[in-house]
Amino acid sequence: NPIVLDLAFNSIEFPSLENRM
Amino acid sequence: TLEDLFTSLNRHIQRSEYQQAVKLADQVLKLAPRDEDALRCKIVGLIKADNLDEALSAIRALEKIPRDQSFTVDFSFDKAYCLYRQNKLDEALESLKSIEKTSAVMQLESQILYRLGRMEACMDVYQKLQKFKIESLEINVVAGLISAGRALE
Ligand SMILES: [K+]
Repeated sequence: NPIVLDLAFNSIEFPSLENRM
Repeated sequence: TLEDLFTSLNRHIQRSEYQQAVKLADQVLKLAPRDEDALRCKIVGLIKADNLDEALSAIRALEKIPRDQSFTVDFSFDKAYCLYRQNKLDEALESLKSIEKTSAVMQLESQILYRLGRMEACMDVYQKLQKFKIESLEINVVAGLISAGRALE
């Protein structure tokens, strides 16, 4: 089968910690 | 202090040191068990470290905590992603059912449908995704079209 990129992986992101530091 | 822990945590994230990031998130959670940033860092860190079993266990533990106004965190998407990676595809789709259809959700949905061989449903989702102009999406659309074509033969 043709390759399918796991684009969903990129949308799993760490939250911004800017105002927690 | 929490600020110090988050500063270290952030540094590990910047350096892609995901296991260290998870450790720091756990340290924050010892002090503040419902801290949503720390919870998210822990789950995302486990996923980025390719530790999907542990990510899923952590999400399932969180699901047992009663939701209230101060605790609204939702990991349905992350759960669906872990299940997708473990090839538990029906369960993965189920986890996406209750959440808003953002482009990320539809992207994952299309990948699950592709693996299930449900090409028509997969292409329907791609059609809805066109308006979001996602980088590299064409590659998956082409893969879907080729597979759909084969399915018709
Ligand atoms: K895939």
